[in-house]
Amino acid sequence: MAGDAGSIPELDQKKYDADEQVKIICLGDSAVGKSKLMERFLMDEYRPQQLSTYALTLYKHTATVGNKTVAVDFWDTAGQERFQSMHPSYYHKAHACIMVFDVQRKITYKNLANWYKELREYRPEVPCCVVANKIDADLKVTQRSFNFGKKQGLPFYFVSAADGTNVVKMFREMIKRAVDYKQNPGDFMDEVMQELENFDLEKKEDNSEADEDGLKAESPDLV
Amino acid sequence: MSFEAKRCGVQFSPPSIVLIYEHKETKTIRKRIIPVRNFSKYSDYSMAAERLKNHPRHRDYLEGVSQSQLEKLHIILRDHMQGFSLERSLASFNLDPDEDLNKLDDEELARKKGQMDELFEKNRRHKDDPDFVYDLEMDFSKTTQEKCSWDEESDDGF
Ligand SMILES: Nc1nc2c(ncn2[C@@H]2O[C@H](COP(=O)(O)OP(=O)(O)O)[C@@H](O)[C@H]2O)c(=O)[nH]1
Ligand SMILES: [Mg+2]
Repeated sequence: MAGDAGSIPELDQKKYDADEQVKIICLGDSAVGKSKLMERFLMDEYRPQQLSTYALTLYKHTATVGNKTVAVDFWDTAGQERFQSMHPSYYHKAHACIMVFDVQRKITYKNLANWYKELREYRPEVPCCVVANKIDADLKVTQRSFNFGKKQGLPFYFVSAADGTNVVKMFREMIKRAVDYKQNPGDFMDEVMQELENFDLEKKEDNSEADEDGLKAESPDLV
Repeated sequence: MSFEAKRCGVQFSPPSIVLIYEHKETKTIRKRIIPVRNFSKYSDYSMAAERLKNHPRHRDYLEGVSQSQLEKLHIILRDHMQGFSLERSLASFNLDPDEDLNKLDDEELARKKGQMDELFEKNRRHKDDPDFVYDLEMDFSKTTQEKCSWDEESDDGF
């Protein structure tokens, strides 16, 4: 399993602090189509980097938002969803989250609640959306309204990785929101993280999990 | 030279993959039996499938057969080598919409995904299709009304 939050050796997560870098994570049960959606969006650009030790796949993408060029790292799980929980490093510094379920399998919809709960433990404020995939299998589902996330105001997309419906729209909007969020982060955690880094706590890497837990526990009192 | 795969299956002895295809120029239907070599009950089905897909003598014929379809055929061959019945082997590919797929190991999950791939490939739009649109958009906000039954029994604060 992965090491402490933010200390995957192959991956320097500090780079996500740079203005022109964002990190977007995918969440959802096994086989809902997370990887197929990535593949459909990236097409020829599709060059995944497998970090099998961490059950993680990384996709790099270059996007243009307004007149800025942004490097986007998409993080996709490669089996970690099996534990119904992701390692903290997965959430660390994420700027947006794409939550996917399979319209043919109710259980994947019901499990969104668990994924969302875990996301909010680590990233209380990052933009997030709900994606209903595989609508090509039964277009009638698009007449139904799925209310998960409505209360929280999460955008909802009906998509199909197979025929491509709304895939690009969803990704573009999420990239835009990730960039916006980065310019105006609302997360208390983010600021504290940044501050910790500015103070240059040498031992942080060794101890970051403990640090994060501590911060999490405190944050409700401070906000 | 162009071939269109029509159907494929397996033959247990000697272990082979059987492909029914159409020869596009002559418009004839033909059968090709591809022996699966160096494959035992301990072999990696996914590597074997990939090897076959890229095999210089077979790859033109197998172009229309997906990697996961080839994996499935290798799994059936391997199940047979391990002594499982064909029924049992085929049943492992069945999709039960209520099954929690998070609980499966890699190989079991690959079986289910292989099954899902059939519909996926059928509905798939390829980028070389003449009517392919990269950023295909459809607005469903006007047609959405019915409340989804999946939202009832709202036990978890949806
Ligand atoms: N019909 C259909 N099948 C899909 C779609 N997206 C994915 N699938 C199928 O679902 C399986 C699992 O997709 P995958 O991307 O591996 O899921 P992941 O485990 O969430 O990454 C694939 O093997 C496809 O066969 C879709 O939009 N439509
Ligand atoms: Mg995947």
